Amino acid sequence: MITSVRSRVFAQIFLITIVFLWMIPIIGMIISSFRPYSETSSDGFFSWPDTLTLSNFSGAWERGDMLRHWLVTFAVLVPALFLVLFFSSMVAFAVSRYSWKFNIALLMLFTAGNLLPQQSIIIPLFEIYNRVPLPEIPFLVNSGELRGSLIGLILIHVAFQSGFCTFVLSNYMKTLPKELNEASMVDGASLWRQYWQIILPLTRPALAALATLEFAWIYNDYFWAVALIQNGNDLPITSSLRNLSGEFFTDDNLVAAGSLIVVAPTVLIYILLRKQFIAGLSVGANK
Amino acid sequence: MSNSYPSPSEWSDHVQRRTVLKGGAATGAVVLGGGLLAACGGDSGFTGEIGSASGELTFGSNASDPAPQAGTNAIVAAYMAQNPDVNVTLNFLDHNTFQENITNILKAGEDDVLSWFAGFRNKFFADQGQLGDISDVWENVSGLGEGFKAASTASDGKQYFMPTSYYTWAVNYNKDVFSEMGYAEPQNVAELTALAENMQSDGITPFAFANDGKWPIQGTFDILNMRINGYDFHIDLMGGNESWADPKVVKVFETWESLLPYHMTGANGRTWQEGAQALQDGEAGMYLLGTFAASHSEELAAKMDFFNFPEIDPAIGASSLDAPIDGFQMIAEPSNEAAAKELLLFMSTKASQDAYLGEDPSVVASSSEADTSGYNDLQKKSAQLANAATGISQFLDRDTIPDMAGACGDMFAAFIEDPSDIPGKLADLEEKKVAIFADFNS
Repeated sequence: MITSVRSRVFAQIFLITIVFLWMIPIIGMIISSFRPYSETSSDGFFSWPDTLTLSNFSGAWERGDMLRHWLVTFAVLVPALFLVLFFSSMVAFAVSRYSWKFNIALLMLFTAGNLLPQQSIIIPLFEIYNRVPLPEIPFLVNSGELRGSLIGLILIHVAFQSGFCTFVLSNYMKTLPKELNEASMVDGASLWRQYWQIILPLTRPALAALATLEFAWIYNDYFWAVALIQNGNDLPITSSLRNLSGEFFTDDNLVAAGSLIVVAPTVLIYILLRKQFIAGLSVGANK
Repeated sequence: MSNSYPSPSEWSDHVQRRTVLKGGAATGAVVLGGGLLAACGGDSGFTGEIGSASGELTFGSNASDPAPQAGTNAIVAAYMAQNPDVNVTLNFLDHNTFQENITNILKAGEDDVLSWFAGFRNKFFADQGQLGDISDVWENVSGLGEGFKAASTASDGKQYFMPTSYYTWAVNYNKDVFSEMGYAEPQNVAELTALAENMQSDGITPFAFANDGKWPIQGTFDILNMRINGYDFHIDLMGGNESWADPKVVKVFETWESLLPYHMTGANGRTWQEGAQALQDGEAGMYLLGTFAASHSEELAAKMDFFNFPEIDPAIGASSLDAPIDGFQMIAEPSNEAAAKELLLFMSTKASQDAYLGEDPSVVASSSEADTSGYNDLQKKSAQLANAATGISQFLDRDTIPDMAGACGDMFAAFIEDPSDIPGKLADLEEKKVAIFADFNS
């Protein structure tokens, strides 16, 4: 008994220490985002704040042109999210509900896609994107090509995320009784109807969990935007944060404030949908 | 290579200014030798007159700091006021990303006009055929000296760049500390060393020193090499035509080593802003850096003055320095060539440069016609220094291949940590240079 109390106290101390260590940079960022640059540069980063101000936030908002870049982010995020879930749920439906010669091969192909590092395909992808002309569509295509267009970004997100989504959804769909399909087939439901009206509604918990995870992943994307978008106006919000740094001079407090503004939506989504987040982490883990 | 850099006395070209552009710029109706050069228009539709192009024009800028950004917006506004038929869409990318992604940006071809650097970095892309020839724009330019033209000319003898502003590298100091302690600007290296000794006995670190990012101390190498071996040797060394293992270069590092005790230690982990803060607080007496040091704070800007790095060898003198030139270039296949060239021409004019400098007083205008009455003391002194110079380099990371600048940055950082075995370190660097240049030329 005594040993278990002692070990519990030890565990608590250990955990509190770790939490504290993890929080130092985050707390540091929050505090410095409220401090003027002149103060941290003269007193040092680890000093007691004298002045607290919101001017870094208003400065970051204006200099970062954040409303515009948020619009860009959501113009990419919303269609990408729907398309990923739509396409991968169809593949998952096919490979999990029907036995077909290439089921395993197809599933493996999608799962293997997860293992491919994004960086490895960037040069051929850039060259391909550069050669695909698109008609100019205000906001979505300003470059006249797939490269530099938001449509190009949407496509690559759909391509890269569908591997993981297919894997998770097919595992989830496998847990649904086969009889559902058989009964609906007897009732004369078409293949589309079985997918759309029988299986998809039952997959809702997995879809909700995936949607929250995918929201965070696509929202936080930095790599694709930096590699594929050349026009500063068309950058999504995470990559547009760079525009707060200058040639020689970067106000770190301004960048801290900008970063806090940018992470706000993901933190908000996490707080609102944390149940789905946690479900998302274990979705498909057991049958 | 040395002939492609702005040479000395050619920086301002007063005669041409007065005869060609008498009051024309001030009225806003800039017609630069239009009649004479109308034939140069060719197929592009560029006539040499501002006001004849029309349509959409895209312009990509690296001005991510607030003042340069406001200045760039002012250029575009002033241009569109003169020619309302062209609609310029301006987009900004942060300075470092822009620089690192320039290959992609040029390949993308989305922006007709782009920010860039004069000299080697411009020539590099021009020689690869990635930039558009703007020689016909230059035929209509006035107020830019031959030195600027040389810094905008590629190997084929044509111009690919429009220089608009520059700033200088010099020894910045804190005026308050100098007047309080009775220090004077040194005229030669002996006086500089004596001043440093004085500062040390007064408890002041003579030189602030910071090297985060491994570029700031490249300025120290540039100036020492130019003072000890002269401008031509420096440019040839940058161009890969001299050996880093040469005893002349060894001598530069030996001199640097003898000066290191006067510098702050641990520079590799310090940002230039921290160095500037030390200068502002009077902890350090001097700081060899670009005049952008003043952008650290208003307090430092008010306290700061600078002097040219003094002479080391009387036979060489002290009349060369780093003064990086910024400006703009056009891509090889612009979608609106006439408007792109017209904007570049406009950028060379007084109207454009006055508009820019009204927002960004940290640089000096390239045009001898620009209004200098609003210059602050630092700008006036920068302009004086550059006009008196007999050799202007662009700074190490603009004067050589990017990979070579990286190798130099590594070697310099290692040297200030441990100044031993200078010949060995330089032999290594020379080996790297040979490989980097062989790769580059293949």
